[in-house]
Amino acid sequence: MDMFKSLIIILLSSVFVNNYVLARFLGICPFLGVSKKLDQATGMGIAVTAVMLLATAVTWPIQYYLLDKVGLGYMQTIVFILVIASLVQMLELILKKFSPALHKGLGVYLPLITTNCAVLGVAINNITDGYSFLESMVSSLGVGLGFLLAMVLFSGLRSRIDETNIPKPFRGLAVTLIAASFISLAFMGFAGIVDALFA
Amino acid sequence: MNKNSSMSVLFKGILKENPVFVLILGTCPTLATTTNVVGAFGMGIAALAVLVCSNILISLLRKIIPDSVRIPCYIVVIAGFVTMVQMIVQAFFPALYEMLGVYLPLITVNCIILGRAEMFAGKNSVGKSALDGIGMGLGFTLALVAMATIREVFGAAAFAGIAIPFLEPYKIEVLVKAPGGMMVYGLLIALVYALTHGKAPMKKSFSCAGCPNAGNCHTAACGAENTDNVHNEAATEKGGAQ
Amino acid sequence: MKKSIVSTLVLVCICAVMAVLLAITNAITAPTIKANEDKAANEALLEVMPNGEGFEKVDLSAYTLPATVTEVFKETKGGYVVKMTTTGYSSGMVIMCGVNPDGTISGTVCLSSSETLGHEKTFGAGFTGKDAASVDAVDTISGATKTTQAYKNAVKDALNTAIILGGGSVDLRDEAQILNDNLSAALPAAEGKFTKLFITEIIEADCFDAVYTADNGAGKVFVTENDGYEGNTCYTAVDKNGNVTKTTYWEEALAAYNILTASTVEIIDLKAYEGLPTALTSAKRTATGNYILTLNAAGYGINGGSEYHPASGQYILVMVSLTKEGKIIDTLTLSQAESTGIGDACADEKFYGQFDGKTAEDYKNIDAISGATITTNGYLKAIERAFECVTILEGGAANE
Repeated sequence: MDMFKSLIIILLSSVFVNNYVLARFLGICPFLGVSKKLDQATGMGIAVTAVMLLATAVTWPIQYYLLDKVGLGYMQTIVFILVIASLVQMLELILKKFSPALHKGLGVYLPLITTNCAVLGVAINNITDGYSFLESMVSSLGVGLGFLLAMVLFSGLRSRIDETNIPKPFRGLAVTLIAASFISLAFMGFAGIVDALFA
Repeated sequence: MNKNSSMSVLFKGILKENPVFVLILGTCPTLATTTNVVGAFGMGIAALAVLVCSNILISLLRKIIPDSVRIPCYIVVIAGFVTMVQMIVQAFFPALYEMLGVYLPLITVNCIILGRAEMFAGKNSVGKSALDGIGMGLGFTLALVAMATIREVFGAAAFAGIAIPFLEPYKIEVLVKAPGGMMVYGLLIALVYALTHGKAPMKKSFSCAGCPNAGNCHTAACGAENTDNVHNEAATEKGGAQ
Repeated sequence: MKKSIVSTLVLVCICAVMAVLLAITNAITAPTIKANEDKAANEALLEVMPNGEGFEKVDLSAYTLPATVTEVFKETKGGYVVKMTTTGYSSGMVIMCGVNPDGTISGTVCLSSSETLGHEKTFGAGFTGKDAASVDAVDTISGATKTTQAYKNAVKDALNTAIILGGGSVDLRDEAQILNDNLSAALPAAEGKFTKLFITEIIEADCFDAVYTADNGAGKVFVTENDGYEGNTCYTAVDKNGNVTKTTYWEEALAAYNILTASTVEIIDLKAYEGLPTALTSAKRTATGNYILTLNAAGYGINGGSEYHPASGQYILVMVSLTKEGKIIDTLTLSQAESTGIGDACADEKFYGQFDGKTAEDYKNIDAISGATITTNGYLKAIERAFECVTILEGGAANE
């Protein structure tokens, strides 16, 4: 029961309180780049969540059963990024071969994910936070869902921005960032709520 | 000025092609490590070191690396240098190491570094690549420190950790929190645009130009912008030369 | 084909070169990093043991230690630094405590916590120089009873750990466990599950301080503290067949058992009396003419209410048994909704137990609940009403 509770806390806090995009600034590039339309935002969010889960499932055992065992803990970054890059490549090939429809939907976002710092970030954070395998998977799921949530919310906001008349210097990225800061402000309201829910 | 003169290569990164405010690269560390000046400066210098080292090595190897595996090769080189910098910071600047946390290894996926490898070091001589690295790194550092100064002075009433007592009652604490980062960044981009009267090769919107995968990515994800990016990129190069 | 082999080779070579470079950097920086980490770890240890020279982590697998202990470091001169995770107002309060070789405390610090008031950060200083005998005397943090108690318990755990690691033995059972063990020894058939009874009649035997009934109906255990004969606590068990342990008090225990198992209580019709306080919710008269009353006490749950604790509109329900002369036999808090960690101490026997043996003259001579004036005053008002009730109920009875 306690374990279940702690998993729920990890999940909720990584979706709301420590939202990677809005509170920890990881994965900002796709957040700003691919959030123009709802369908793109959703596709990207789902692809990122999938890659995060996959990456954690592979990097966690690598860290604990390979790198730590042979004392090569310092190779973490280099190994993780290579693993993530090859995973993304493989996922793309597999999707292309076995599910062209899915590939058409998600495949286009995959090359962008290799260098998404949220994916590498969640893999490294799971290790530094000392999470067990199960906790790591839950945390990755939460981070991915948090990313999806932020993308979807923001795509709605952006379509409104595009329709308004904005002073010239603010057009484009400037107003987008300021809008993002308001969403981030709203998410600050979640701070402390998860602990309080289970206190 | 000659298009490829060394000085222009060095200085374009500081002003005309400032990676943060003009090219809009490396947004994640820009937002995350600018809550105080010390962290921002540390992050800037760490990125500069990685940028210079990786630019030199990639430029040296540019004739050996086959085109088909260049991205994985770049990633390995960059990740290696990042880890070295990480170990050096951990050994000699433990306080900074604590402060930067996960953002230090994440320099690996900082678009600036992979972007410069792909756009510049992979095509230019060693000397120029090194200068490009220094220029871009300095531009990144300056931008981070400028943003951190605004956030720390007005958000925490301090500069580089030294308290400024008379600002204490007026500090706007949200500036050092997450929303403040995006807000200040947005305002600064607008300011740079206004100051340069739009002459800087500013991108109208965030795009994939800086993304190292831009070459691979002719797909819907980047949408119609993709053609703009190519155009913009060309403009950028010219802009640097004028 | 040839092209892809070359590509792979180049990639592998670059990986190898970077790995070698990394190994070299690691070899150069690793000793400094290790030294930094050791220094940081030692700094925390030095904070609680300022004159410590060197620390070594102790392997705890061979010892049975208090459950809170997570890590122990042995100091070269023989002291110990004990790291513990405990629960005060909320869980996860990490406390580190240094114990000198002579058994005094060299210092304590709270490393992390999420307590409400934050006093635990400074509270630790008060323990420096204390030993096992004087820990309880350290001033309580007003309004943070749970935090204080958890902190004191952690410090005691640290002292016990030092004794155990030094080769001594310590009774690690807490009071509740010791009681349960003693009760189980007296009445094994109860299988370790007991409920404390509300003493009414059997106090007339005047030798029992508490009665526990087995949850499975196996019998009852009568407890006499400070047994005049040997000075120990005496446990007299009566099982459901009437078999009794032959202690000094076995006859009284058997008599009391018979009273308790017979239903000799009359429920009083409150409408038959005039002038009874509205706080009185029920009244019973026992075979010997004593009274068991339940009353509503208006504490913080009724009168209070703030952003931290919205008034729940709930009274404290108090049960009091009194002799017909107006002397309190026993008191019990049945239910309450006072502030957690402050007013809820009214449900603690340490508070309501103080009323035992009191009369209308001296019932106010008790220790109030620290930080909960409204709760205490409400409770005292209810006790006062109980005395009024007895006077009225006795007067009514005399008129019949």
